[in-house]
Amino acid sequence: MPRWPLVFPLLLTVVTAQPAVQPQERDLLSRVRRLTVEGRRAGEGYWSPDGQRIVFQSEREPGNPFYQIYALDFSSGETTRISPGYGKTTCSFFRPGTDQILFASTHHDPRSRTFQQEELDFRASGKERRYSWDYDPEFEIYAYSEKGKSYTRLTNARGYDAEGSYSPDGQWIAFSSMRDAYNRALSPAEQKQLDVDPSFFAEIYIMRADGTGQRRLTNVNGYDGGPFFSPDGTRIVWRRFDESGLIANVWTMKLDGTDQRQVTDFGSMSWAPYIHPSGQYLLFASNKLGFENFEVFMVDVAGLKEPVRVTYADGFDGLPVPSPDGRRLAWTSTRGGGSAGQLYLADWNHEAALKILKAAPERKK
Amino acid sequence: MKKLLLVSLLVTAAALQAQTTVAPKTKAHVEFLASDRLEGREAGTPSERIAGDYIAAQLARAGAKPLPGHADMFVPFEFTAGSRDGGTRMNGSREGIQALSFSDDAEVSGAVVFAGYGLVVPESQNFGYDSYATLDVKDKIVLVLRYFPEDADQQARAVLARYADLRYKAQAARQRGAKALLVVTGPRSPNAGTLVPMTFDTAIAGSGIPAASITGEVANTLFASSPKPLRDIQQELDSGNPHVAGFELPGVTVNLATSVVRVKQTGRNVIAYLPATTPVAGVEKPWVVIGAHYDHLGRGDKGNSLASKEEVGGIHHGADDNASGTSAVLAMAQSLSTQPRRRNVVLALWSAEEIGLVGSNAFVTAPPVPIDQLAAYFNFDMVGRMQDNKLIVQATGTSPVWTRLLERANVAAGFDLVIQPDPYQPTDVASFNLASVPSLAFTTGAHVDYHKPSDTADKINYEDLDRIVDMAVSLARATEDTDPPPQFTKVDQPTSRGSLAGVRVTTGTIPDYATEVKGLLLSGVTGGGPAEQAGLMKGDVIVEIAGQSIANIYDYTYALELLKVDQPVKVIYMRAGQQRETQLTPGARR
Ligand SMILES: [Zn+2]
Ligand SMILES: [Zn+2]
Repeated sequence: MPRWPLVFPLLLTVVTAQPAVQPQERDLLSRVRRLTVEGRRAGEGYWSPDGQRIVFQSEREPGNPFYQIYALDFSSGETTRISPGYGKTTCSFFRPGTDQILFASTHHDPRSRTFQQEELDFRASGKERRYSWDYDPEFEIYAYSEKGKSYTRLTNARGYDAEGSYSPDGQWIAFSSMRDAYNRALSPAEQKQLDVDPSFFAEIYIMRADGTGQRRLTNVNGYDGGPFFSPDGTRIVWRRFDESGLIANVWTMKLDGTDQRQVTDFGSMSWAPYIHPSGQYLLFASNKLGFENFEVFMVDVAGLKEPVRVTYADGFDGLPVPSPDGRRLAWTSTRGGGSAGQLYLADWNHEAALKILKAAPERKK
Repeated sequence: MKKLLLVSLLVTAAALQAQTTVAPKTKAHVEFLASDRLEGREAGTPSERIAGDYIAAQLARAGAKPLPGHADMFVPFEFTAGSRDGGTRMNGSREGIQALSFSDDAEVSGAVVFAGYGLVVPESQNFGYDSYATLDVKDKIVLVLRYFPEDADQQARAVLARYADLRYKAQAARQRGAKALLVVTGPRSPNAGTLVPMTFDTAIAGSGIPAASITGEVANTLFASSPKPLRDIQQELDSGNPHVAGFELPGVTVNLATSVVRVKQTGRNVIAYLPATTPVAGVEKPWVVIGAHYDHLGRGDKGNSLASKEEVGGIHHGADDNASGTSAVLAMAQSLSTQPRRRNVVLALWSAEEIGLVGSNAFVTAPPVPIDQLAAYFNFDMVGRMQDNKLIVQATGTSPVWTRLLERANVAAGFDLVIQPDPYQPTDVASFNLASVPSLAFTTGAHVDYHKPSDTADKINYEDLDRIVDMAVSLARATEDTDPPPQFTKVDQPTSRGSLAGVRVTTGTIPDYATEVKGLLLSGVTGGGPAEQAGLMKGDVIVEIAGQSIANIYDYTYALELLKVDQPVKVIYMRAGQQRETQLTPGARR
């Protein structure tokens, strides 16, 4: 969930009316199919390096109203739970060349089951909460070994640690952490900020795959999150919110945090970037076309051209992740109805994407 | 001669299938069932029998057998194919009077009590409207107005409309001891003074009370010595004030003799099964049922045709509705017969669905297999018009296992599934839901040719129909293997839903059920209807009508109850992302 910033689910309740599929979408996406059906919600699907599986988060088991992590196998159709089944989890990723999958979890918190029950009771009461995501400071990043069926904790800092992803060689993890709000004395203004919205303190970090060598890469107020490596492993793409938490843009930087470059400039929420395996363009989500209507866009990696719209559906379309062969796209969408997202998959027309991007006008400065 | 011809046709279809293995497995079935020769497969007609014979032959070809204890695959049931007045009289005259289609046959005499609109809103509704509050109608003949108060505010209309159905009014009168019910369409109402048409009603017997409608003229003679004319009385009632009391018409006694002739016919369900390939002893609920209705509208003269003026009386081919579903079941039978089965698989092709789910109802009422031994029911109705890879699966709320099984089956099938938990659908799945059988219903949704002669075989998307068959086979196999069998969950009927019973107007819109949008997406408009005159067209999304915001089809149905004939209302709609506005003038629905 935290790859989705705080405000989104509130916005999803109202959507603009528009036929769900318009012909433009077919230019890039074909054979749209719904991957997840079970449970209240699912999303954030990331491909295994061989493209045979997708790991995602979903709320689908009675007794736990929070996300757990599941891996879906395309050849068998089978879905297996990866996370322990209790606590809150989010943001998973396959480690290339290994049997490991990382995700963030709070399951070490002894209060996990109490929180689950409290949330279930709250829902049963029929009361409406604005939004239940709380950037639990207990979130830590774990690596799960599928063969050993064991969990290794990689982070150990108070404050939300999540949104991890591996480098293409599987040796590095980029992630987002709010530890800066907990490891030092805060000014009264900062304390107030923490109470209102801890994501203000989120920054991008990098560490080795075993959790050592943790290093901070960004140092700007506002939510820095959702980092992913470029296909050649030389850069990180992420999204940076401004201090208000309303405007976000896609940025890239070198692995040491230098050479930070802004790619998008819509003046709206542009986030969840992921670079296509060709390395030529990236996909991201933005609410440029309406505060409640998130669509997937694509843009050249340098951001020289004006971004091009990819999806055309009511409500939410976001968290786009191309398959390793660049021929399919997984994303999270509410196009099936209701306000809760599900995972969707479509064939991706890479050649058409290149052609359309080439024809796109220069970005207005 | 006729029979011989049929056999040769069957052989041709079979040979065609065997030769060209690449040809869609459903196409030959659809083309045969939707051909002119089958004349729209109306229940109880010779063409329904030809269709039934074809289906039975195909099931036998697939290796299916008659159910245990049955000599063949035909399970007949009786139904009412129509009704007409059999000579209803008041005071010896047939002038200006006609029985209501659900009337009992009887002769009664008595004083006449006018009971306003004859409306009783149950106390549970917290509304407080009872036309009988101060009236004693025991052993009297009750006269009521059709519809509900014309000038009530929208909120009141919304409640009252629900209890305005004439069957409901007859029941209210009967429960209060009335001898009979007379209905008049008030001078201030749409269709003023006209008789209530004898609508199609599938009930085998009457409703327990003689009931008839009378013309405005006949009503006037009854009101001749009343202190006020009917128009003034209706005006008072139309304010919606429930305290305008009814009264006994001074000095009026009538003799009423009602007679309804119900045309009984016999329809045939075609039911066979593929026995389990391993012993079912020890398997809990060892039956799975796969079904589709094969009947359609014939030439569309039973009131449920949507044919345009030019098409009226033409053969309603019903290629999508429901030669497509029938073909899907036949193709599934063929495929399932070659695979191991842990449970017995029943293949059921229903008749008389179009006139009210009569065939499937007959099955659950007198089940040839104990109904509590059914593990699951799968329904296929209109599965031949897939667009944009969208497959609608309904009734998923009937068991907690469905979403998991669907998710797994869809990984290989790859549909853009639209999930609708609600089992209260206008198709045979409703019969099984009411019998507490975990069920799923598959459809590709309504379209412009729905219930029109133009629903023809050339418009079927066979490639995707075959894909639906493949997915359904894998789902059926997964269900056969499920142990314990799927658990049934009762889904509450949505209360905010409007019912068409209270709707007196038509807007001429054809909703698109397949695409989920905020609002009502139109898959078309009826030619010359109010919507077309208002400039609405396919693809438009209605988001507001008469000040009511529309989020879905239920909101829309509900809003329809509030519209008045010939009173223009504002419609706000979206076209190509732009918000637009128009005036729509509803017409009368008879
Ligand atoms: Zn049908
Ligand atoms: Zn029909």
